[in-house]
Amino acid sequence: MNIRLEYVLFVFGILFCLAGVGYLAVEYVKNLSEAGKLVSLLLTVAMFAFLSKYFEGIGW
Amino acid sequence: MTIKRRNLYLYLTLICFFGVIAIFIVDGYMGIYDTVYITAGEREQKIESDVWQRNDPYRSSGIARGEKAFIRYEVDNRRFSGYEADIDVSVWRMQNKVSDVLSQHIAIGSFNKVQIEWVIDTAELLPPDAPPEQGFDYTLTIKRGETERNIILYVNPTPYPVIKTVPSPPR
Repeated sequence: MNIRLEYVLFVFGILFCLAGVGYLAVEYVKNLSEAGKLVSLLLTVAMFAFLSKYFEGIGW
Repeated sequence: MTIKRRNLYLYLTLICFFGVIAIFIVDGYMGIYDTVYITAGEREQKIESDVWQRNDPYRSSGIARGEKAFIRYEVDNRRFSGYEADIDVSVWRMQNKVSDVLSQHIAIGSFNKVQIEWVIDTAELLPPDAPPEQGFDYTLTIKRGETERNIILYVNPTPYPVIKTVPSPPR
């Protein structure tokens, strides 16, 4: 089994990002203004879209 | 060219991620937050600052007649500058002020918090001719500068006394 180190690091990076956003979402989403919630949602959707395109580009 | 474009998607992903983080910090964490703690009947009720975003008065749990409610008001300054305000607490019923509870000036340093405590005694609020079977609603108004928080305090009616049954006389 030959897993490239950079893929493992990518997975760790993604998990840390998701954990960080999840923690912030649970703690502070209730204090966000309506505009802040909307912009956060749009940025989250865009983030996953760009991430998908990136993975598509590297052949996943 | 393909690698450049692939990296562009990665950079855009990172920009979006840090954008979300920045919004959560600036909009969700920074600012002035106030929390009210009401202790009545050995139960503490916490009213967090997000409750006030609905712009409705908060309906607290009831206070037993004759007992006291211990209220703690916490102001959390999560800003780089200091914060000063006048705190005025009063109790209202049917648009009439029943009593002034507290008037105090607070000054909080950056990323610090202040707590103010007071006691609401139901014996002092209720009218002397209040029937024991009737419950009463009061509005506790906390004014902090231009901001106003309203909490509805319900004073429970006195439980009905136990009716003693008289045994029927023996025949």
